[in-house]
Amino acid sequence: MTNTPREITRRQMMHRIGLTALVAGPTAGLLSACATSGGSTPEPAASTGGGAAKSDSNPFGVKADAPLEVVIFKGAYGDEYATQSHEPLYVKEFPQAKITHQGIQTIAQTLTPRFASGDVPDVVNNSGTDNLDTGSLVAAGQLLDLTPLYEAPSIDDPSKKVKDTLVPGTIESGLVGDPAKPYILNYVYTAYGLWYDAKLFEKEGWTPPKTFDEFKTLADKIKAKGMTPYAYAGKNASYYQYWMILISAAKIGGNQVLIDIDNLADGAWTNDAVKQAAAAWAEIGKYMDKSYEGLIHTEVQTQQNQGKVALYPSGSWLEPEQAKDTPAGFEYAMAPTPSVSASDAMPYEAIRAVAGEPYVLPAKGKNINGGLEYMRVMLSKEAAKAFTEKTKSLTVVVGSTEGLTLSPGTASVVEVQTAAGANVVTWSSFEQWYKELETELRKQTNALMFGRITAEQFCTNMQKAADKTKADSSVTKQKRTA
Amino acid sequence: MRHGKLSQASSPMALRRYGFILSFLAAPLVLYVVFVIAPYIQAFQIALTNWKGISPDFDYVGLENFGRMFDDDVFWQAVRHHGLLLLVMPLATIAIALFFSFLLNVGGGQANGRRTGVRGSAFYKIVFFFPQVLAVAIVGVLFQAILRPDKTGVINNALGAVGVDPVGWLINPDLALWTIMGVMVWQAVGFYVVLFSAGMSSIPSEVFEAAALDGAGRFTLFFKITLPLLWDTLQVGWVYLGIAAFDGFALVQVLSVDRGGPDNATTVLPLEIWRQAFTFSKYGYASAMGVALFFLTLTFAVLTLRVTRRERIEF
Amino acid sequence: MTRPPQRPGGRVGVFGTLSHLALVVWAILVIFPIIWTFLGSFKTNTEIFGEHPLGLPATFHWDAWGRAWAKAHIGQYLINTVIVVALSTFFTMLLSSMAAYVLARYRFPGSRLIYLLFVSGLSFPVFLALVPLFLTVKNLGLLGTHTGVVIVYVAYSLPFSVFFLTAFFKTLPTTVAEAAMMDGASHTRTFFQVMLPMAKPGLISITIFNILGQWNQYLLPIVLLPGNAQDKWLITQGIANISTNAGYEADWAGLFAALSMAIIPMLIVYIVFQRQIQSGLTAGALK
Repeated sequence: MTNTPREITRRQMMHRIGLTALVAGPTAGLLSACATSGGSTPEPAASTGGGAAKSDSNPFGVKADAPLEVVIFKGAYGDEYATQSHEPLYVKEFPQAKITHQGIQTIAQTLTPRFASGDVPDVVNNSGTDNLDTGSLVAAGQLLDLTPLYEAPSIDDPSKKVKDTLVPGTIESGLVGDPAKPYILNYVYTAYGLWYDAKLFEKEGWTPPKTFDEFKTLADKIKAKGMTPYAYAGKNASYYQYWMILISAAKIGGNQVLIDIDNLADGAWTNDAVKQAAAAWAEIGKYMDKSYEGLIHTEVQTQQNQGKVALYPSGSWLEPEQAKDTPAGFEYAMAPTPSVSASDAMPYEAIRAVAGEPYVLPAKGKNINGGLEYMRVMLSKEAAKAFTEKTKSLTVVVGSTEGLTLSPGTASVVEVQTAAGANVVTWSSFEQWYKELETELRKQTNALMFGRITAEQFCTNMQKAADKTKADSSVTKQKRTA
Repeated sequence: MRHGKLSQASSPMALRRYGFILSFLAAPLVLYVVFVIAPYIQAFQIALTNWKGISPDFDYVGLENFGRMFDDDVFWQAVRHHGLLLLVMPLATIAIALFFSFLLNVGGGQANGRRTGVRGSAFYKIVFFFPQVLAVAIVGVLFQAILRPDKTGVINNALGAVGVDPVGWLINPDLALWTIMGVMVWQAVGFYVVLFSAGMSSIPSEVFEAAALDGAGRFTLFFKITLPLLWDTLQVGWVYLGIAAFDGFALVQVLSVDRGGPDNATTVLPLEIWRQAFTFSKYGYASAMGVALFFLTLTFAVLTLRVTRRERIEF
Repeated sequence: MTRPPQRPGGRVGVFGTLSHLALVVWAILVIFPIIWTFLGSFKTNTEIFGEHPLGLPATFHWDAWGRAWAKAHIGQYLINTVIVVALSTFFTMLLSSMAAYVLARYRFPGSRLIYLLFVSGLSFPVFLALVPLFLTVKNLGLLGTHTGVVIVYVAYSLPFSVFFLTAFFKTLPTTVAEAAMMDGASHTRTFFQVMLPMAKPGLISITIFNILGQWNQYLLPIVLLPGNAQDKWLITQGIANISTNAGYEADWAGLFAALSMAIIPMLIVYIVFQRQIQSGLTAGALK
């Protein structure tokens, strides 16, 4: 942006392309049909002295002294990245602009009355357990279509559009409504899988299981050592577990299984793939002490840091979230979920790696142009790099990790992604679209994993809940094709 | 009757009188109507709409929300939980509080011709009241740690020391609601000990002395004398605890698995209203549940006051 | 704390022993969690989640207290809460005693209706009103202000206070007031100079109910003092916020320190005023 023009050296260029391939590779394959190929295009090393030409540096025509209100979900990523990087970068562009910042956890409770009254903030990081129902917000016309953002020139290189600087699939993951428009900016590049302490596994001679049979054999071995082989936090994070079930279902039956679930297709939940996945995970649930249903995620994660839990299902925010409690000698690593059978549609290496961590702009914000510009700032390399430094997490901004030393967990994610190649499990939109269904899934997941219902009942109950949502005239329906 | 004299006033007096009534009632009434009655009336109106709470638009859908409610298993589960809470929580609280206040006021035998409490009564009265000064939010957070289901939980750790396996206080669906009730009782008992103690100390000591002369033991004293004379205070306590039994929101939200779980085993109406309104953006439906909760509470209050109405025992 | 035992000997017996035991057990049940919280503020996460959650901390460092004080603004929230509760309790008592007095002692068209209107508020769930209330407060420009919270607290405390105070005023003897009126005192003067002092015991006990109820309010402040008014937050919001924060940042000692900071002043205030509180409740129960 307004930083000194940089000459991109050859080495930097190679580095950028290399990392881009690593990060963008998997999704590029999957989403090539609808994605613009941005990542791997080597651009001329243009000197970008942003701020010289008004039109270029202010594509949305932001009023220089208009205040901007930003609400950040203060979870695993904290909110320092916003207060110490993103917001100052915005103020650097508009020194007269006053930013009101809020870092909170209860997004929905705090913001629902404000949406009702029309007095909304300008930028919302709609994340966490208590996030706002995006589907309803879009249906009510409360969110801004982000197309102008993606069509605007990039801060790092005004000759490119913002959409061409993002990891492919980013924009698509934020499509909502019918016709689908990009309302959500998913900022963090997130990989999901089984997390473990690489050092411990090395010492014990354990390897992450490739099949569920191996999983059980390993679990017995771990149990013999007095450790809990696998656990998740039932009290507030049962969704970590249902991700694993959904990922396994997609691996068994292909991504169409998850697309059908999102589209509320008839029998989507009673699909054999879902049944097999639920049954396989229920077997693993038997190794878990009942007490895990009453613990919250940080409690279980602390247990893993203390060497009491071997494998833990999570996304790549786990490492930053636990940074303070991770003892020296504990090295986070991630493995894909095991294969259920030899006839699975996707190989063991397949993982879910998608753009996550949603940001939205309320349509009735007082400074919507400022909101768009704030997002454009977020998508600059400087802001993305600061995010990665502060949170040890990758962003969707291509090439923003240049010059950074990756943490063990992030390095492991990159490695797993490379191995996965084009075998990427798609995201699930129903979590954002249909909160009621999602709430039911959390409940049923706990019931399944702690042995109160069978996989069969799990599928029947979920199908019932999905049918109920489908028949509910008060819920706005969404569709997706890929 | 006792108003007789005042209302016989002459005309300028009457004017002054009405002026006075108006000036005294205006402020509280305006405040009450604007901030309490008006929002509630609006809530009744919202219950007939499909309002989502996140935009100004809505349509009237008649009684659709109420129809949905009657088919909603979770709603009925919550109602059943209130029934259980209503049955057990006030009863347990009042029983424990009565027992303690009896011990603290008349259980200690006679001293200088007066019935006194057991040793250390004053100390116990102070200590028992402690939980009442803690905000519910604090109590919730506190018990989160105490009830943790593994050996790191305070209670389970203590049990472990005597060889008992950890108990899933909040994760066993058959136990979770009882645990939460236990926390409610824990917090409430102290207040009612003090309240009942007050009632007991107002019973003239001659009543006890006369009974003691007739050879009445502690149990007779308690059931034949203390209890009937405390009836009014008990009734107030019962209504108050009953209204509390229709809440439970803060504790359930903080303590339970998946907010109301496991498997909805601890959910209560306020929590479902909260979820429908703020998580599912179904404000109309949430308001319909609120209307139901209103009528449940009202029915309880009216019934209790009717059923427990008794002749006051004069002394 | 203890009074000299002057009871005839040999009457304690099994019942006495058991009842003492029950009292001691309940006292421990009450005190222990509070002490445990206090100790928790000195522990490390490992000590809190370790094999011996009941053990003493290895060292007594005040770091967590510093963190909670600086980051969680507990002091600010305590002061806010004291101001809000003091004002709203005062106005609740003033307005409700005025209304209750008129409703109890004067008969006029509509008096019964107004009384029932107030009493029916006892059974309204606050939830039902949250969003309409939010809009009302916002339209009056009182959102995120302590004035707004005080007004709403007063309004929502009226049903309970009017209900009990009306009953109380009805029990007071009428002769004194009548004599005052005969001497030419106005209605207003009679109320403030004759009736209020007579009603003191009842007023004290309802005041205590209101202070406790308002101090513990959790829902109303969440809605009325939203996140962008964080400097105006009340203690319950602060605690809930730290609790969620602790969940995400795994700072359990900080949470316990914050809890202790919220608990200790309340306990001190209570212990100092416990005599008044107990006698206030006694007066209330006498009716």
